[in-house]
Amino acid sequence: MPEHADFERLVMVHLDAGYNLARWLARDSQDAEDVVQDACLRAMKYMGSLKGQDGRAWFLTIVRRAFYDWLAHNRPAQALRSEGADIDALIDEADGPEQMLQHKTERLALADAVAALPLSFREAIVLREIEGLSYKEIARVADVPIGTVMSRLARARRLLQASTMLRTLSGAEPGVQQ
Amino acid sequence: MNCDEVVVLLSPEIDGEIDGLRSHAIGKHLLSCAACRSRCHSLQSLRQRLRDELPRHAAPPATRDRVRHTTEAAATHLRPTERPAARWSWFSGGALSGALGISLLWVASTGMLPTQNRQDLATQVVGVHTRATLGNHLIEVASSDRHKVKPWLSARLDYAIPVTDWADAGYPLVGARIDRLDGNSVATLVYRYRDHVIDVFVRPDPESEAKSDSIPALRTVRGFNVAVAHGAEMQWVATSDLNGTELEAFVTGLARGTVKSPS
Repeated sequence: MPEHADFERLVMVHLDAGYNLARWLARDSQDAEDVVQDACLRAMKYMGSLKGQDGRAWFLTIVRRAFYDWLAHNRPAQALRSEGADIDALIDEADGPEQMLQHKTERLALADAVAALPLSFREAIVLREIEGLSYKEIARVADVPIGTVMSRLARARRLLQASTMLRTLSGAEPGVQQ
Repeated sequence: MNCDEVVVLLSPEIDGEIDGLRSHAIGKHLLSCAACRSRCHSLQSLRQRLRDELPRHAAPPATRDRVRHTTEAAATHLRPTERPAARWSWFSGGALSGALGISLLWVASTGMLPTQNRQDLATQVVGVHTRATLGNHLIEVASSDRHKVKPWLSARLDYAIPVTDWADAGYPLVGARIDRLDGNSVATLVYRYRDHVIDVFVRPDPESEAKSDSIPALRTVRGFNVAVAHGAEMQWVATSDLNGTELEAFVTGLARGTVKSPS
């Protein structure tokens, strides 16, 4: 079936990228799988629209949309307060050196800090630092103006730097003082 | 520029998203301001840690299998919709909300090799090249400094390529980016020759030794020339609106590590 051969070539090659985004947004592997399943079905249906565009950014757009629909359906409360809430938890959790020791590695702590970022910041960081997308591509995927991408990334980085956890863990390195 | 102006631009600056003129002004400010320099270093080291340490979650094999089964089953029920929409916004609807509920008919359709419909290489690279130039996404790391470009690429690929600035021969290195060819990430070096932009896609080529002496294949697609050479265990695919003879000579030189001035 030619349609499915196209699907392998255009969508399945980006499955890891799509799963990674879903996994970072949903923060759960089972939920990520549900999101990716839905996204793949949508991608198959609309594959005809992918004419010469970058397949990865196109598929990430669909995954992101599928995630927000999944969120609204399964976690309506979280969908409503997805902006800005989690960062307080991040800073609270990192209030003493004893708790630092509980983190086995810096790697875990940094990943935790990113996982605790508000959704819109988290997706910007994942698309930029893991997927290496340009601001223009992120703007397209997240359906916001480039200026918004710029400010989200800047704020996300400020939050990551400012969290006590990271400042302590990165030793002498000071965060941005303003 | 003063500190206030520079501070808000540092984040896009380290992403290479600031235009040359303002980027230059930021660089000048950093030379004279230790506080902003420290802010910049702090941001750079955060970014490096994010890139080194954030896990990229690969789809588990079981997930991959289930996606295949579901979509193959659905493919027997759905015809792909051809719609001329320029934007992707209509994915937002719950258009497929019922699709998961479709009874899953497992159709044993074999022979779906991803290479089956693989586009011709020359057509692919010209497509990537024109999208990059038209889309203003030519460069992700802007630098003529190979000590900056090479590690930037190595951090994003599972192979390392030789990077040289050939400004002396008339081909300055402008920067680099990552593209996709045949579904794999590939290093793209961007050079300039006079007013011509040259994209060079570099990827591992296990048979390079056998081919290193062969004449590069030259093709023309939609007015762009594409020349291929092999060397240093890499395949080098160059595309540009530069004339074919010069492009061929350039890419052969790149593969051999000795680019000569065309004049």
